[in-house]
Amino acid sequence: MSRNDGRSTRLRHRPSRIVPSLIVAILLLAAGVALTWLAVARLLDGTWSTILQQPRNWLAGLRWDSPDLWGLGVAAVVLGVVLLLCALIPGAFTALTVRNAAREDTGVGQDGVGQDNEPGMYKRETVMTRRAVAHLARAQCVQIDGVSAASATASNKRVHLKVTTSLRETEDLRARVTDAVRERLDTTGLDPVPRVTATMETTG
Amino acid sequence: MRQTAGTLNRTWLAILGVLVLAAGITGLLQAAGTLQTIAPTPSPGTRVVTGELHPFFAQPWLIALILVIGVLVGVLALWWIIAQIPRKNPAGTYRLQHEGAQGRTSCDPSVLAAAVEEQVNTLPGVVTASALLRGTANEPDLTLKVTINDRTDVRALLRHLETSTLPQLSTTLEAPLYRRRLQIDVSTRTQSTGTVVHSTGTILH
Repeated sequence: MSRNDGRSTRLRHRPSRIVPSLIVAILLLAAGVALTWLAVARLLDGTWSTILQQPRNWLAGLRWDSPDLWGLGVAAVVLGVVLLLCALIPGAFTALTVRNAAREDTGVGQDGVGQDNEPGMYKRETVMTRRAVAHLARAQCVQIDGVSAASATASNKRVHLKVTTSLRETEDLRARVTDAVRERLDTTGLDPVPRVTATMETTG
Repeated sequence: MRQTAGTLNRTWLAILGVLVLAAGITGLLQAAGTLQTIAPTPSPGTRVVTGELHPFFAQPWLIALILVIGVLVGVLALWWIIAQIPRKNPAGTYRLQHEGAQGRTSCDPSVLAAAVEEQVNTLPGVVTASALLRGTANEPDLTLKVTINDRTDVRALLRHLETSTLPQLSTTLEAPLYRRRLQIDVSTRTQSTGTVVHSTGTILH
């Protein structure tokens, strides 16, 4: 496996598909254990286990156009498509890229591309987790006058705030909140800066 | 910091997906009788098993085959499950110098990582830090996870790391860093070491 070559792997990566992999691996392990147990029991007892009697009768009466076979075919197609989708859908990145400090000092372009392959520099990658970005945005938001409470969610391209306020006219507050949070994320060095949106809820 | 088996998972899921999908499509084509028009397969109305099952299952080679397939599938599945455990894969001992009969200098990378952590922990706004060194003494590969509080100046922290902490590590190893990866997390906790003064108030002139 490539991860055992003694090098670090990218911190900003796609989901590892651990849940579907574990489910499939456990089912395969169960199948392997069952087959091994059946074969060993046959070698020790001299006869096949009685639990195979029913599947054997079912198999003996099975026709190619029977509903059971249609059902098995459809189930296999659905399962195959699900497994392929699990493998092929890339999923969202787990973290957002942060500009490196050396870029600002040296005046190197800040396009965020090729951070790991800059000539003349050691390879570097700086990321901030999506949870951290959401936390930062929320912390900035609750400091703004007029905000009673706030919660935030972050994806790779968007930060969304749910703001609770006692104000009736919320448009001005919405503008102040999104501007302040966008500025905070920009000064933090997120590259690119995610789009900031806000939903306002008036209480009282 | 820890590494997972993302590529392995995607590869196996894709292989199994293709195999199961192909088997399902073949089964449906056979049940519909379409497969018979392009390949010499039995007609849809016939039985799947035409002969007697008892003599077939009594053959010794079949028992051995089932045993081998069972063990193979079980071992591969177990290996796949074990591969899901996230691993740090830290570097082995760094061999800094080798001067033949005069001796050699080696260093445990975890000691250097602990020193880096200790230094980063004293920086303003840092709640906690963990460092992991991989690679070799000539090509050190540092992965650093820094948890900060929500008021920390991230740019100042990065500048400090780039101009002070990381050069000191390079000086200690007498080799430039080959790769540096940094993950920043934000916590609600305050810094456990050092002093953080939060200024919130109105300044009157």
